[in-house]
Amino acid sequence: MTKSNKRLWILDVLMLPAGIIAFFPFYLIIINTFKTMQDAAKKPLSLPSKWIFTNYVQVFEETSILRSFGNSLTITIFAVLLIVLIGAMGAYPVVFNMGRFSRFATIYLLAGFMIPFQATLIPLFQLMSDLHLIDKLYGLIILYMSGSVFVFFLMSGYMKTIPRELSEAAVIDGCSVWGIFWRIILPLLKPITITSVIFQTMWIWNDFLAPMLFLNSSSKSTLVLEIYKAKGEFTVNWPMFMTLTVITLVPIFLFFIFMQKHIVKGIAAGAVKG
Amino acid sequence: MTKFVRQLQFLLFLLPILVIYSLFTIFPLVKAFFLSFTNFNGYSKVFDFVGMKNYVRIFADDAIISAISYTLFFTFAKALLVTVLAIPLAMILDQKFFTRNLHRAIFFFPSIPSGLLLAYIWGFILAPMGSGVFNTILKGLFNIGPQPWLADPLLAKLSTIVVATWAITGWHAVLYLAFLQSIPKDYYEAASIDGANRLQQIRFITLPLLAPAMTISIMLLITGGLKVFEIPFALTKGGPGFETYSITQVIMLRGISETQYGLASAMSVVFFLIVLAIAVFQVTVMQRREQSMQ
Repeated sequence: MTKSNKRLWILDVLMLPAGIIAFFPFYLIIINTFKTMQDAAKKPLSLPSKWIFTNYVQVFEETSILRSFGNSLTITIFAVLLIVLIGAMGAYPVVFNMGRFSRFATIYLLAGFMIPFQATLIPLFQLMSDLHLIDKLYGLIILYMSGSVFVFFLMSGYMKTIPRELSEAAVIDGCSVWGIFWRIILPLLKPITITSVIFQTMWIWNDFLAPMLFLNSSSKSTLVLEIYKAKGEFTVNWPMFMTLTVITLVPIFLFFIFMQKHIVKGIAAGAVKG
Repeated sequence: MTKFVRQLQFLLFLLPILVIYSLFTIFPLVKAFFLSFTNFNGYSKVFDFVGMKNYVRIFADDAIISAISYTLFFTFAKALLVTVLAIPLAMILDQKFFTRNLHRAIFFFPSIPSGLLLAYIWGFILAPMGSGVFNTILKGLFNIGPQPWLADPLLAKLSTIVVATWAITGWHAVLYLAFLQSIPKDYYEAASIDGANRLQQIRFITLPLLAPAMTISIMLLITGGLKVFEIPFALTKGGPGFETYSITQVIMLRGISETQYGLASAMSVVFFLIVLAIAVFQVTVMQRREQSMQ
């Protein structure tokens, strides 16, 4: 074994306990979903004394997890599509037609970049109820559309790298403003679109504050809200609650597996640009 | 004529974002500012201007004071811990060892699920009874009796910080990793020819070149930390007492639950100013540091 090989092997050994500690919470909830309540309370750490699978059946029977999953999916898909479209649309005139008005628009949008959602919470709550957007899935989708400001900045940063000659040539060929955007600009934005979609998807899928405030009826719960409500219901039945948690982690885990490369690239791109 | 039409078409592209942003971000902020000087209760159409009264009340309200101090403590402690852990973690994950990809995935994954979910998982680990997972481990290893991890004021604060740090360190390590990989390898070769050992290389090459990454990472940690809500809310419900109340939670309590819109709006304005001041200060200071290091 060469010297450098040996050093790397030591890293494997050194990192093993750190990795186990980092993963431990997930191991713990997974094994406890296969236990009875008593078993989980007495020996939370060890493997089940008898493996049971009834918790999984029970979760699907006793909670509306599938409906909540559908609600989360609906809200996320529509909100993310609209956010990305609106953000890209806004960036287009600002980058390719730097008139006085688009310069004003950039400054105006930049000014609000630091405003935390929480600072606008009270009037927002009033506004949502005045507009009759409370307890409606589309109300939440409309609210989330304010995320397009973040996408606007990602997109306009990226758009500046697209040569202006491309759009100028299209103008000479008689392409309309909308046609240039749709056929030339949008396809070139693919990498930054993927980054935007990932960040917005994670934010909306995981959000708790807005659904808690703006969705009341249980038929409209998102998945995270369902977990929150179940916590109150299953206070003593930890295995059942953990089963619900594990099931909700499955789509997130799949998203992570398929998107890992893009997520990492997105963080790098966002950071280097920022 | 055609030029005018083109301009008008371009304007249409900006319209949706400007409408949404004005309606859901700027208008509520301006209104919060306006409401903060009134005694509006959310229902009655009649309300009075009370001047600075709400702002004065903020500093006499124990829950609000507690929320501000906890949020600031949480923010800085978490930012410090994550930075101290993420930089070495990134350096290790940059080496080519066999389980590297597995370890990258393990550390990174906790940043993907909702904070609420993660906090509930930890709620099981930190359960105060002797049967709580962490207490069972302590009993087995060191024979220490059960500790009230989430019920003691100081322990509850520290627990929320530990959980938040566990969740986000891997994410920030990936950010540092991206910068590490952009450092040319010849720098290290040149340094080792000049006789610099590994520690000196880290001190004089790696850390200075990571300065821009630190600016971004710490900015994200601070702005994210000030907005904290889910992890303490799910772990401790803000308790014991008001000890782990976040600013967000106190705005919701005073504003939406108790319909003291004026007071909560004043709190929102103060919150916005805190975020703005800290973020501007931090980025200015750290960018100056970047320049002095290069």
